[in-house]
Amino acid sequence: MTATLSVPTRARRARVDPLERQQRRLFWPFVGPALAFYVILFLAPIGYAAYTSLYKWDGMGAMQWKGLGNYEILLNDPAFHTSVLNTLKIMVVGGAATFVISFALTMALREMRGRMFARSVLFFPNLVNALVFGIAAGFIFAPQGPVNQLLRLFGVEAVPKWLSVDNLPAMIIATIVWTSTGYYTTIIMAAVDQIPRYLYEAAELEGANAWQRFRHVTLPMSWDVVTVCAVLWTVSSVKVFEIVMLFGGGSIVANAPVETWTTAMYVYLSAFSATSVPKFGLAAAAAMVSLVMVGVFVVVLRRIMRRDRVVL
Amino acid sequence: MRAPKGTARFLAAGVVATLALTACGGGGDKGATEEKGGQFTYWSMWKETEPQAKVIKAAIDKFQAETGTKVTVEWQGRDIKTKIGPAIAANKAPDLIDQGADQIFTSLAATGQAADLSSVYDMEVPGEGKKVADVLPSKYVDALPKDPEGVNRYLVPYELVSAAFYYNGADPDLKTVPQTWDEFIKLCDTLKAKDKACVASDGDNSWTNELLLDYLIVRDNGAGALGKAVADKTGAAWDQPGLKESVKRVEDFVKGGYILKGYDASKYPAQQTNWAQGKAAFHIDGSWVPSEAQANLADGFQVKAMPVPPTKGGNTEADLVMFGFAVPKKAKNPEPAKKFMAYFLKKDLLSGISTEAKNITPRADIPAPAELADVQKMLADNPSRIILDNAPGDYMDKVFTPAFNDLWLGKATADQFVAKVKEAQVTYWKTAG
Repeated sequence: MTATLSVPTRARRARVDPLERQQRRLFWPFVGPALAFYVILFLAPIGYAAYTSLYKWDGMGAMQWKGLGNYEILLNDPAFHTSVLNTLKIMVVGGAATFVISFALTMALREMRGRMFARSVLFFPNLVNALVFGIAAGFIFAPQGPVNQLLRLFGVEAVPKWLSVDNLPAMIIATIVWTSTGYYTTIIMAAVDQIPRYLYEAAELEGANAWQRFRHVTLPMSWDVVTVCAVLWTVSSVKVFEIVMLFGGGSIVANAPVETWTTAMYVYLSAFSATSVPKFGLAAAAAMVSLVMVGVFVVVLRRIMRRDRVVL
Repeated sequence: MRAPKGTARFLAAGVVATLALTACGGGGDKGATEEKGGQFTYWSMWKETEPQAKVIKAAIDKFQAETGTKVTVEWQGRDIKTKIGPAIAANKAPDLIDQGADQIFTSLAATGQAADLSSVYDMEVPGEGKKVADVLPSKYVDALPKDPEGVNRYLVPYELVSAAFYYNGADPDLKTVPQTWDEFIKLCDTLKAKDKACVASDGDNSWTNELLLDYLIVRDNGAGALGKAVADKTGAAWDQPGLKESVKRVEDFVKGGYILKGYDASKYPAQQTNWAQGKAAFHIDGSWVPSEAQANLADGFQVKAMPVPPTKGGNTEADLVMFGFAVPKKAKNPEPAKKFMAYFLKKDLLSGISTEAKNITPRADIPAPAELADVQKMLADNPSRIILDNAPGDYMDKVFTPAFNDLWLGKATADQFVAKVKEAQVTYWKTAG
């Protein structure tokens, strides 16, 4: 019995297979090139960076085995601690500010006339090179610049020293928030646009106020998009670099002050400081730490933000 | 997950860049071009449109025509420092590069990758009957730090830069310049009484601001004192009374209120521009300032320079930054490249650095542009020393500059500066491995 049964099973499998077999045959030719690119362009460099991080290397001569020595340096280097802290501040404080403002704008813009135009205006700062902000800040926030003139006009005599080293980290975060708000507002608005109007109308009929409509309609209905935005933000905040480079010293006359460094800046200056011997091992180790850091953050974030999808 | 790949990738980007560069910059067909004058490749720190590039290009054209040497030039710009390492690692190094001496030291010489150019100093400058060593005062190259083999002739300079106080020679208040630090402070007081700032500084321009303390340390303690203090792994060297005295001078200077107001929150070049417009008497910076501030100079502004005046220590060293040629040890055609160095030092060719690029040359017989005449004289008449005693860039970033900014911006006393430097310095050397 078993023998007779097993034959048709095998026969059936053979019979059903052609399409599946074709698909399987095509699997590697289709996936292969993409995978190869991915491995060559992404995984291999990461592997190479991980390997380099275990050595002392000036980029030219022989590599000297250092084991976890570079990581030990990072553990003890106050400059790296500052860099990590600044990166985290950008991620958390900057992130919170960006999303709060983006949502506020979304709410305000949702029913506004001419919102497409407003959206473009909001998006605009995102198109402008960070270079422009770095240079513009020097004029706008100068001791006698327009911002302080305006403050004086309103009777504020003790005008803030916007561009002093102490204030630079905050200025950098503010600039990042300002430039990215439009970007995230645009994405979130696209999601909010998809929410059927009748949900809001029903909520209003039930007597929900603006906050309740946001809390019980907008947020759950756009949650997937918000999650993606949060991941995008986390990833991009670890890359913050040029704005730091431009804000202090402007990279023309001096390196950015250590108080403003991010991990990306730390990596760059370890490898390419103009007047010290390149430390590629240390740079690679710092890059690996950032990689792990962002990896952990994204995983945790996905966990925290996981919700059942709302299906209409 | 793109971000960390971004950072990791830029290590790989070096490798990719190397591949790309070898495609266009490599020696190509080696055997075929070995005919007359041979050939070499040159990576320039200048962009093709910069005046220095034009001067060098004219010399290369002449050199090619006269010697039959084929020169392949790439006008890389300042990116050389990031590109040269990967090129050397891939054994595709150019035969000739130029850069600031400090960068040549850290990117090549310090790691033993720069060729000894002593033979160039023995070459004759074509058509002049003099050796290269005869036209280049040896004190300049002697000031360079040595590579692991004890060589400091890994550079053949063609342009000199120094740091000094710049001022307006036409300003009636500055008819006589102070000869000592005390006289300088007295002058600052006089100016202050007239409601005029003594010095302009941009708070974020730390490197430039540090020049004053750097000079004062030399004036009080002699050349090399800073370097010795930096190298001390315990940081205890900073407790020497002489060093503290110099730091105290800066503290007093800041507290004296001689610096043009707003400097603690300004962004370069805002205050430099204010100086050019006459709002402050002096501005300390590198000798590129006259050309940088050119467009903003007030009417009738006559750019003059004076050294940071000596203190009772009596030391008069002048800061020195050189720009010049170097050859990577792994270069395949070093000989024709060396010949070109000697060729470029010919008076008629090198003069272009002064007349067209508006800079000082190392040759005493080529007059500097009028606005730099004082600086040229200062360099010629005094011993030379390297700015900041060639302290490593990451030392400056992590140890010296944060403490100095506090001092310069009036947030720390001399004692607090010393304490902060000492503490950070111990950590720096612990993590420097």
